Amino acid sequence: MHGPAALQLTPDGRLKHLLTTEGLPKSLITEVLDTAETFLSSQGQPVKKVPLLRGKTVVNLFFENSTRTRTTFDIAAHRLSADVVTLDIRTSSASKGETLFDTLKNLEAMQADLFVVRHSAGGAPFFIADRVTPDIAVINAGDGAHAHPTQALLDLMTIRKHKGDPANLSVAIVGDLKHSRVARSLVHGLRGMGCPDIRAIAPGTLLPTDLEHLGVHTFHQIDDGLRNVDVVVLLRLQKERMSNALLPSEREFFNLYGMTESRLRCAKNNAIVMHPGPINRGVEIANEVADGPQAVILDQVTNGIAIRMAVMAMTLSTQQGSHS
Amino acid sequence: MSLIIRNIQIISPGSPLHGITEIGIDQHTFVDPTELTNAAEIDGKFGWLVPGLIDLRINLREPGLEHKGTIASETRAAVAGGVTSVVATPITDPVVDSPADVRLVLERARESGRCRVFPTAMLSQGGEGNHLSEMAALIDAGCVALAQGNRPFSSRKIELNALKYAQSLGIRVILDSESRDFAEGCAHAGQIGTGLGLSLNSSLSETLGLAADLELVDATGVSAHFSRITTGASVARIREAKAKGLQITCDVTLAHLLYSERALADLDPNFHLERPLRTEDDRLALIAGVADGTVDLIVSDHSPHETGAKLAPFPETERGMSLVEGVIQLLLQLDQKGELEFEQSISAMTVKAAQVANQQQLGSVQHGHPADCVLFDPNGSTAFDAIHWLSAGTNSPLFGQTLPGRVIGCWINGQCVTT
Repeated sequence: MHGPAALQLTPDGRLKHLLTTEGLPKSLITEVLDTAETFLSSQGQPVKKVPLLRGKTVVNLFFENSTRTRTTFDIAAHRLSADVVTLDIRTSSASKGETLFDTLKNLEAMQADLFVVRHSAGGAPFFIADRVTPDIAVINAGDGAHAHPTQALLDLMTIRKHKGDPANLSVAIVGDLKHSRVARSLVHGLRGMGCPDIRAIAPGTLLPTDLEHLGVHTFHQIDDGLRNVDVVVLLRLQKERMSNALLPSEREFFNLYGMTESRLRCAKNNAIVMHPGPINRGVEIANEVADGPQAVILDQVTNGIAIRMAVMAMTLSTQQGSHS
Repeated sequence: MSLIIRNIQIISPGSPLHGITEIGIDQHTFVDPTELTNAAEIDGKFGWLVPGLIDLRINLREPGLEHKGTIASETRAAVAGGVTSVVATPITDPVVDSPADVRLVLERARESGRCRVFPTAMLSQGGEGNHLSEMAALIDAGCVALAQGNRPFSSRKIELNALKYAQSLGIRVILDSESRDFAEGCAHAGQIGTGLGLSLNSSLSETLGLAADLELVDATGVSAHFSRITTGASVARIREAKAKGLQITCDVTLAHLLYSERALADLDPNFHLERPLRTEDDRLALIAGVADGTVDLIVSDHSPHETGAKLAPFPETERGMSLVEGVIQLLLQLDQKGELEFEQSISAMTVKAAQVANQQQLGSVQHGHPADCVLFDPNGSTAFDAIHWLSAGTNSPLFGQTLPGRVIGCWINGQCVTT
């Protein structure tokens, strides 16, 4: 076995890269969450600056659009005192015909220490860590429909904070799971944490094939799927799902699957509502839920910075250890 | 020159010489050794003598894609894998669709080829699926069949016309059944592809494509060969169609007999193929299909690529695997794993392949037939590594592997072509 799950760990089980949540043991996920919590002040906000990565160079490699994820990685790296370079590859070397391989070899020669990679092709960060620059820590910031591990870890952090150990919880994921790297990573993360009840709620066109093999129960009726869950995770619906004839309209999706106050009552009383953002009000979520007491969406954003700080610190410390 | 090979076991399904322990070669043909005087002798040391394998689907890359492979390099690789005849796909750059292209391939094969090369050409001009190619002229120039390659017809109506026209000229067509609407995606729509978030190709793409193609074949009566079926459903459909009396044959690639979707778990781009690897159940159904004769042939679908073609994230790499160099060893491995008897797989790459390629004099060790054969030591082994690799295609999962069996010698038309 030499896939992403194996490559990201050292032989003694430390985090060398973060490519996927698949196969991450509970102890390691817990270590990431615990480390992230040390970066939060007593008010629950990320600490403003620590000198942990002084002298290190973090390169944000974004081969695909992103504002939010890129910004949170930026902030996280700055708070750890790293030097940060952000490359928007779509507008630089790729347009001059340079291959991904050569672009990265150049950056390696410039002595970067950590790559944060977002790419539209599933497996791209794995390819970089495996074949291109094995001595540089790689953090996957989203690859195709494959994985978005830091998002999953921040979701787990948020769940643990509000609801306790996922091993005792029921979690429902609602919406476009088929195209969602967030959903895949969260499912693997929840399984790693021993979550006994993971549910997917969506019409057939938005569910990936063979989801049951990943340990997920699927529901087409939202009220059935929400029954007694502790956590509701909503996914963003992309506009192109309508033009691809996977759904008739946003309106129909909201009527069938939109999270309203009355639907939320099917879940447990104190269930939390999460969303990776940016939210579409009136599509995945009604205003009163988005702004209501059960939504923890902005808390997720805050935790996202702490998680990214933790993952950067842990992978770089592993790489440093292996070089000395 | 004449030669006697003794102390061997001839494995030539369907031949009266099957199981015999010695064979003579006089000039270009197999003969009874007792007819030879002053012949040189070889001690076969109880190895197996197999008819030279016939690979009905290989990409030789010439003309136009010489950076991936040449007729010289890829036929040399084929011989190392016990393959003495190859049927070349017309997928080159440009595609083979004119008599001049066919003559060029034959010319290059004469100059630099190490084994027999049989060209095929596109059924449509430019492979674009709009206009019929000059089928009669292509056959005259030396094609053994006409193919669709990996290029779809622009409509079922044009496909129907192509098949009708081919039928009226008595030409065999090689079809790649796939419904384009469903054919996108770099991984089978199953457990592994879903988990990795790869773009998916559903089995339905083949089921629908095959169903439609079978209807067209039935309607036209053309002699059709279905290439690269990948699912258990397709095996069942072909079995039904044959029972109904359709004059059809089909093949499966060696990769689909060896690997399932599980091979993609490590995102090794060598397993990024034109037709995705399916489930383990599909793999077993394909093997059962070869064993019971529903699947007629095994092909290598050898697709050499330069290193750069696979040096990218999995979905962005070019498709195909370089495999021909280990064909006979891989067949022995399937036998030793208890999955497919060597005699059955040999039959699928010799006597049956000769029928489909319309080369009935090949594929069988018989007195009077051209002396194409492989002397194979089933107790030996072959180690594969990049240094000794003959194919220009470095995209092989065989590097670092040691497979059972060793090719001792290979003869084509009575001439030894191995050193």
